[in-house]
Amino acid sequence: MPPPGGYRPISFKRVPPVSYFSGAAMIGGYIGMIAGAAYLYVQNCKAVTKRELETKGASLALYPMLLAERDRAFLKQLRINREEERELMKNVPDWKVGTWYGEPIYLGADKNTYFKPDIAEFYAHSSYEELKKRVDFRFWC
Amino acid sequence: MSRISILTPYFKSPFTDFFNDVISAQWGGGPCADLELKALDCLEAYGFSKGLQQCQQQLKDFEECIMKIKQFKRLDAMEKERQRQYKSGERSKEEIYSKNPPVGADIY
Repeated sequence: MPPPGGYRPISFKRVPPVSYFSGAAMIGGYIGMIAGAAYLYVQNCKAVTKRELETKGASLALYPMLLAERDRAFLKQLRINREEERELMKNVPDWKVGTWYGEPIYLGADKNTYFKPDIAEFYAHSSYEELKKRVDFRFWC
Repeated sequence: MSRISILTPYFKSPFTDFFNDVISAQWGGGPCADLELKALDCLEAYGFSKGLQQCQQQLKDFEECIMKIKQFKRLDAMEKERQRQYKSGERSKEEIYSKNPPVGADIY
């Protein structure tokens, strides 16, 4: 039996979602936001490029000096090694510093010619452990 | 100077010519490139058999650059002298070896 007063009416009316913007406004807003973001992106991009350029320029400007300082430190250490050898081998008869018992390493070379010493010779007056540490340095990290 | 090039006066073929310089110190402008060229120039000037006598200095220099025999002999001698001094009491245990070269201050 139906309740008194009858059933309540069946709701079949279409409920469309509330549209805040029209289609044209949405497309226009999208384009506007993209344009604004692109403007900010370009501004930022320019700033970053400028900063990177400055860093690169500073690095390039510093590089020769750092290289020269490294070479200078290396040559200083070679001098220290030579003095160390002189001090160490002073009791050995017929030993001449920088040679093999008076025989030069390179027979035909001019006295002032530079030959890069082997790294073991560079570490000649350190313990083998230290040489190993230096040679394996790249594997540490 | 490659090992193959030593064969060439006795055994010469297009293949030895072609593969002559596969092994050489010239690649990459290595430290021994100049010494190798000097030795080869000398050998070329005197010929092979006579060059072996005449170019001993250049050949020895090149060999030294490649093998570093004299340099390592020197290192051995210094190490032995160091240990001798330690064992005879001229050096204390702390000062067997000197201070290390600063890391980062070398060209290797």
